[in-house]
Amino acid sequence: MIKEIRKSRWTALALTAAMVVTASGVATPAQAAPKKLTIGFVVHVIGNPFINQIIEAAKMAAKDLNVTLKVTGPAGAEGDAQLTAVQNMAASGVDGIATSVPAASMVNGLNAIIKTGMPMVQFNGLGVGVNAPYVGEKSVESGRLLGKMVLDKIGGKTAKGDVIVGNCYPGFPVLENRQKGVLESLKKAPGVKIVGPSDVKVDSAANFAAWQGLLAANPGALAMVGLCAPDVESIGKVNAAVPGSKTIGAGYDLTTGNLAALANGTAHISLGQTPFIQGYLPVYVLVDSIRNKTKINFSGFLNSGTEIVTKTKVIQPFKAAPLTFPQLQAMSASNKLTRAYYDKLVKTYIKDWRKNLAPIAEESA
Amino acid sequence: MSEKTKSKRFKFPEETSVIFALILLIGIVGSMRPIFLKPENLLNLAASYSISALLAGCIVYLLAMGEIDLSFGWILNLSAVVSGLAMIAGVPVWISIILGISAGGLMGAINGALMVVMRLPLIIVTLGTASIFQGISLISNKSGSVVPTDEKLRANIFFRALGGEIDTPIPFILIIVILAFFALHFTLHKTRFGYRILAIGSNPEAARLAGIPTKQIKILTCTLMGVVSGIGGVLFLGFRGAVDPSTGANLLLPVVAAAIIGGTPLSGGAGTVWGSLVGALIVGVIGVGIVFLGIDAVWSTLVTGLVIIFAIGVDQIVRVRKNRIS
Repeated sequence: MIKEIRKSRWTALALTAAMVVTASGVATPAQAAPKKLTIGFVVHVIGNPFINQIIEAAKMAAKDLNVTLKVTGPAGAEGDAQLTAVQNMAASGVDGIATSVPAASMVNGLNAIIKTGMPMVQFNGLGVGVNAPYVGEKSVESGRLLGKMVLDKIGGKTAKGDVIVGNCYPGFPVLENRQKGVLESLKKAPGVKIVGPSDVKVDSAANFAAWQGLLAANPGALAMVGLCAPDVESIGKVNAAVPGSKTIGAGYDLTTGNLAALANGTAHISLGQTPFIQGYLPVYVLVDSIRNKTKINFSGFLNSGTEIVTKTKVIQPFKAAPLTFPQLQAMSASNKLTRAYYDKLVKTYIKDWRKNLAPIAEESA
Repeated sequence: MSEKTKSKRFKFPEETSVIFALILLIGIVGSMRPIFLKPENLLNLAASYSISALLAGCIVYLLAMGEIDLSFGWILNLSAVVSGLAMIAGVPVWISIILGISAGGLMGAINGALMVVMRLPLIIVTLGTASIFQGISLISNKSGSVVPTDEKLRANIFFRALGGEIDTPIPFILIIVILAFFALHFTLHKTRFGYRILAIGSNPEAARLAGIPTKQIKILTCTLMGVVSGIGGVLFLGFRGAVDPSTGANLLLPVVAAAIIGGTPLSGGAGTVWGSLVGALIVGVIGVGIVFLGIDAVWSTLVTGLVIIFAIGVDQIVRVRKNRIS
């Protein structure tokens, strides 16, 4: 028995050592070089393809600016868990923090951190009342644009029939804004009956099942419009499973799966919100303001732009270089190509961020 | 006689092993990042995890009874929504708080009544009620956040104290939760109600034959879980100043994990309220440690799992050793 206990004790010690080594192995090199700036980057969900594109862009910015980037976030989108992650990041001694703000309950906590002098930038999800600049799309406007494009595809203001609208996370402010814009545009056609908005879930399997059920319940729907990253891919698969389906599929984000659905014609429109800018710009703003010792404890809006993508057309914001659909597909799978494409924007729009800072009201105009 | 004295001398509290695991974890993170050991960091950590700790303290009752509730996160959410909407509607703050907590109690009682009437395990009943409570919350808050922004409301001592505007050496929310833990511990281990819960968990049939009103106790325990979740919701509203549609969505795993790590078995018949507090702190230290050690987000889930296994392993080793010494 004593031998067993001793053996177990050694096992525990070995485990401890393993944990320490593991933790050290994946730790960023900030601890070894204390003078190098460290930026905390807190996302609202880990493992989401679109959020990964933002994280990759933030890493590119960190590399370009020679700073250390610490990335963290909860496994599921939940404001309190994310606020705790931001608080932990601040307590760990980072020099600045970029965070998405998916919940109003984060606002007071974030402002308390900003009050201590911690530079902060918001991205992707806006917290109304947070005293920090926000990098993101014009959410209501992008919804209007998507609604208008769908309406054009189904016959304009004289269209008649059902349009299914799905929201993967009811209550998420940016999604609610997009929804508002989509519905606003669709209502311009009196003959269009809106089905939903239905909760189509974030998880890709549940998302597919939800869209499958919605189309089965509304056969012959003119269009299916999603508001989240997994939707276009799911809608494409649902359309592919119905021979001869003429239902228009539309939604958001330019993930590899979404672009594949556009390429094979099972989905038709996807709007991007320029994840490169949403990841790169917050890190740039933080580093720039820290190095120049300027304060950024005020609200403001930095538009990340909207990318409009169909199988035949790619329209990029900020007069960026023209792109073809195959080029866009190649870029979505390559950080190197992405960085090279956006180099001009880094040297102009991103570098001149102060000039582009607009009042926060423009975000939801 | 001397044998008895010796035995008493070496009787460690049952939470010893899990406390040892917590100290070891804090030691590991602190040795690598000494800044972590700053008292304010440790207090903030405890405050951030205090609401999930409170829920863990009460889920111990259900686990001890051999049941598990999947709906408490949404009870917390809906209670906070009820309270917040009442405040916005002009109902005095303290009455709104009572309304929120009562709503929690009512939801808990509904869970308990359904379990008894339908003769189903609580886990199955709450699979359904969790969605119902979430749905009512979404309808009530119109799928948006509930934010009492009125200046008069914000100036109320409830928001000022819980929101940290009144300086106290220990965060106010932590004081409330620790007091609640004393009450929960006392109720489970020193009252007839608590003994009855443990008896039902040990052997429901024997408890019934012994004359324990098992149905009544089950409904009361579920109601207590609802009341505590309601208190959690109201505390959340004061602590964060708002409640979101997603609030409470991800509480299930850390809360149940905290109770189990703390030493409460899933088999029923036993439970440690203080152990669940330590378990919640272990879950918290893991989350904080990942950030302090700069572990990349991609690795964090794996590391969390490994560290939980590590903590349970340490707990088990110390438990075996403690039993041997005893």
